[in-house]
Amino acid sequence: MSKTTGNTRTGFYICHCGTNIAGTVDVEKVVDYVSKLPNVVVAKHYKYMCSDPGQEMIQKDIRDQNLNRLVVAACSPFLHERTFRNVASQAGLNQFFFQMVNTREQNAWVHLDALASTEKAIDLARSAIFRVAFHKPLEQKKVPIHPGVLVVGGGIAGIHASLTLANAGKKVFLVEREPTIGGHMAMFDKTFPTLDCAACILTPKMSSVKNHPNITMWTYSEIESVDGYVGNFKVNVKKKPRYIIEDLCVGCLDCIDACVYKEPRFFDEFNQGLSKRKPVYIPFPQATPQLVVIDPETCIDFKSNKCKKTCVDVCERKAIDLNQQPEHKEIEVGTIIVATGFKPFDASGVPYYGYGVYPNVYTALEVERLINASGPTSGEVVMRDGSRPEKIAIIHCVGSRDKNTNLWCSRVCCLYSLKLAHLLKEHTHADIYNFYIDIRTPGKMMEEFYYRMAEEGTKFIRGRVADIYPDLTDEVHRRLIVKAEDTLISEIIKVPVDMVVLSTGLEPRADANDVRRMFNITCSTEGFFIERHPKLAPVNTFTDGIFLAGCCQGPKDIPDTVAQAGAAAAEALALIDSGFIELEPNTAFVVEVDCSGCKSCVPLCPYSAISYQEDKKKAYINEALCKGCGTCVASCPSGSIKQNLFEDEEIYSEIDGILNYTNIYEVSECC
Amino acid sequence: MATDIEGIKSVTLETIYDTPEGKLIQSCIQCGTCAGACPHGEYMDYPPRRIIKMLQHGLIEKVFETDSMLKCVNCYACMVKCPREIHLTEVILQLVKEQTIIRLPAVPPELQKALENNYRYGNPMGESGRKRANWVTTSSVPVRILSQNPEPVDVLWFVESYPSYHPRGQDTCRALAKILNALEIDFAILGNEEKSAGECGMLSYESGLAEALVDYNMSVFAKYKFNKMITTDPHALDAFNYRYKLYDFGYEAQHAILFIMQYHDRLKPLLKKTLGYSVTYHDSCCLGRHNKFYDEPRQLLQLIPGIKLVEMVHNRLNSICCGGGGGGMWLDTYFKSQNMERLSDIRVKEAIETGADILAVACPYEIPRFEDALKVAGYDKKIAVKDIVELVSESMED
Repeated sequence: MSKTTGNTRTGFYICHCGTNIAGTVDVEKVVDYVSKLPNVVVAKHYKYMCSDPGQEMIQKDIRDQNLNRLVVAACSPFLHERTFRNVASQAGLNQFFFQMVNTREQNAWVHLDALASTEKAIDLARSAIFRVAFHKPLEQKKVPIHPGVLVVGGGIAGIHASLTLANAGKKVFLVEREPTIGGHMAMFDKTFPTLDCAACILTPKMSSVKNHPNITMWTYSEIESVDGYVGNFKVNVKKKPRYIIEDLCVGCLDCIDACVYKEPRFFDEFNQGLSKRKPVYIPFPQATPQLVVIDPETCIDFKSNKCKKTCVDVCERKAIDLNQQPEHKEIEVGTIIVATGFKPFDASGVPYYGYGVYPNVYTALEVERLINASGPTSGEVVMRDGSRPEKIAIIHCVGSRDKNTNLWCSRVCCLYSLKLAHLLKEHTHADIYNFYIDIRTPGKMMEEFYYRMAEEGTKFIRGRVADIYPDLTDEVHRRLIVKAEDTLISEIIKVPVDMVVLSTGLEPRADANDVRRMFNITCSTEGFFIERHPKLAPVNTFTDGIFLAGCCQGPKDIPDTVAQAGAAAAEALALIDSGFIELEPNTAFVVEVDCSGCKSCVPLCPYSAISYQEDKKKAYINEALCKGCGTCVASCPSGSIKQNLFEDEEIYSEIDGILNYTNIYEVSECC
Repeated sequence: MATDIEGIKSVTLETIYDTPEGKLIQSCIQCGTCAGACPHGEYMDYPPRRIIKMLQHGLIEKVFETDSMLKCVNCYACMVKCPREIHLTEVILQLVKEQTIIRLPAVPPELQKALENNYRYGNPMGESGRKRANWVTTSSVPVRILSQNPEPVDVLWFVESYPSYHPRGQDTCRALAKILNALEIDFAILGNEEKSAGECGMLSYESGLAEALVDYNMSVFAKYKFNKMITTDPHALDAFNYRYKLYDFGYEAQHAILFIMQYHDRLKPLLKKTLGYSVTYHDSCCLGRHNKFYDEPRQLLQLIPGIKLVEMVHNRLNSICCGGGGGGMWLDTYFKSQNMERLSDIRVKEAIETGADILAVACPYEIPRFEDALKVAGYDKKIAVKDIVELVSESMED
């Protein structure tokens, strides 16, 4: 062990964590061993070190025994490092004279061999005791937090988070990619389990967003770049040209009537293509903002420049500008809420269900539009061939629970399938068959909803559908035959139906990976963004100041989405109202006398924290930007970059500690 | 597939959990997709889903009391649709099927005869081994036979039994010989030295017979030098690429259609004659579902001038088996005695429904099966069954 300066007096504490640690690690043996190490003045074990008595015990020892270093072997630093740092500072010790050893997650929980696990605990403890001797007193820097919040995505999650923050007096920028806010919820007819109309509960919130003095709403806009760090983000937003001067348009829709296309003839995104729109259109009657948009892909003027421009002529307010260019805005915010939502599974991904081949096979979202009073058929369930269905099959788990598509359960499909069964029955009086693998109805009032739907006479067939094909013997109707095994009676059944509804699952957005990179957050292999902790930090990300809400984090229903949006808003508020953030002092710094000004570190920094000072010809590291990754420290040719908490002697003594292996069982026998 | 020969030889139901494929059955969610997807599912006392549950519960002996697994035609329909990707056709059902056949009070005579023929004559129809290469004499182009000219050759064409003996299979052979010749491929066949690849033994399931044929053919391959192997039979293709590999077969066998498609730039100018046919293509189980070659046969058809491709209701991954796999080729009488609707009959109805002139195939079992089904259905004049290589060859005539 290297020499330390001064008189090092270390206290060592190992936690039982009930039986979490002590069930595997022989804590008494660890204490016995550690107490004989140099510089160790106190070594103790205790049932719950994080409890009040545990903390008080440590503080008393620090005071009574004049301890100047502290090592706690317990759970992950992620959970309780802050707790024990506070213990140290409340007892008058600089909080960085402390080192934590992870004896639970990285030891007791992952090993079965108690002897080896105890030896590992001892090795790690020794390593920390050697290292902590070289710790220096450090101070945490405080950085103010910008009170503005960026909310990305204007679905129900983004809407709710924005309103919560705005009502608390915070300035919110809500950025939505589509021409209107509302997201998927605006397309739904009714919502389970209460069957309230989606529009009735959503559109008032949409207009509140638009009219709220604290919310700046940018639709038809996308985030181009995000720089900075928690409390101080700089964000570039691109407002795509909608070829309408927003301040002048009053939403009279005269331009749509005046369009040279007398009849709508292009794919209507909002109605899932079940109806047509013109090149100049408004997504749906309650669209927010009430502004038309011109689609350059289908507008004649953009293709040939030879349109009569009847829309321009008719607009009395001269709101149409066919030469409009993208607008770029730069904003500063302190926190960001990512609420980018989901994508419905593309039903043609299960080819044997015939979506896109047989016109009477529909996705659930299409049926939502078909049922909706403001939908393409004004709420009449009329199929693509003009007929009305008398028998309908609803197929669960399309693109869910299937290794060939998506393995996860999409969580909402069972319930929305039940809802659609009810609504379709109400609209058509048809016989409804639900083909399911398992009916999953967790959540308040959901099983009761299932009970109610079953009572209505919807038929349930337990079996995943294996084939859907037209009945070639039925020359008149050409009904679709739905083939499955009813696994509860072990019979292969073939049900002829007029209409098939595919209950498609929820997927991450196709560009989830780009979004992940832009915000420097993480996503799982399937593409849903990962929360910081699945239970204790469900709306935080691994990047401070960036929070998640809604289905971009995983499939969830509207109540859970709104709850999560509220939680994300609360987390953002907590951060903003604390006024400042304390930065972890594990930052790198340049020892200027040694720096040769070679600039090799500058491009290596993933956080752009290093700049070159032309006047001094030295590198400079912005402490607020540095994340302590150590790349520059390792790369500096002259060794002039050092990093707090990771200085050479700290790391070398830690390694010494690990390598200084002694067989504890021999030691204890001979002593 | 398991990779260890000893493992395959000794595997029993008791050891099923020892293989990674066997372990997968623990993840079964009993959704019934396999049973619904099975073309014979409705005739089985125990469809695949129930067999898996019975395996899990150790009740498999009950399955052997029935003929359920004899009705499996190895069509991979259950396997490709299984949401847990359980290797039903490749591993689980094969093992159950082997045990079922061993315990049957009597193997259906038709199947018994085919197996015996394979053992005695090297082909399931019981033809003389000395007549295997007879079709060569009626070929319009020279076909080299290795035993007569053992010089190294680039491409060894494994002809297989149905193409060698069946009159319509021989048509396919002559067509392919003509194409290979026109493409200036250096190719040869084994002639009378060739014996059945052993596929029917494996699939129906008689592993002793299969091994005898594998050993024999491997010893013949060892006599000659060649770079690659092609075949028109997807069953033989699977035998080489999955089974023979375990016996150090060092080549990647290729289906003739895929081989020809590699030369499509050279082939296209040779296809001068416009064929004004509307064609529907039947995906064979081994080529399609098992090896995922859905596009290549269609692309080859579309190289032919004048051909209009139409699809049957069930196509590609969702194609319906012709009923010939897994020994089904020799179980028609047995299936009929069980009042089962013949799969080839179902399939030709779908083909006729398309209004196509030609039902195009890429597997030698399918021509006799579909032609027979058309006769039974009384549709024989409305639609013709042809192998894709026959159509390619036809387009090469001027």
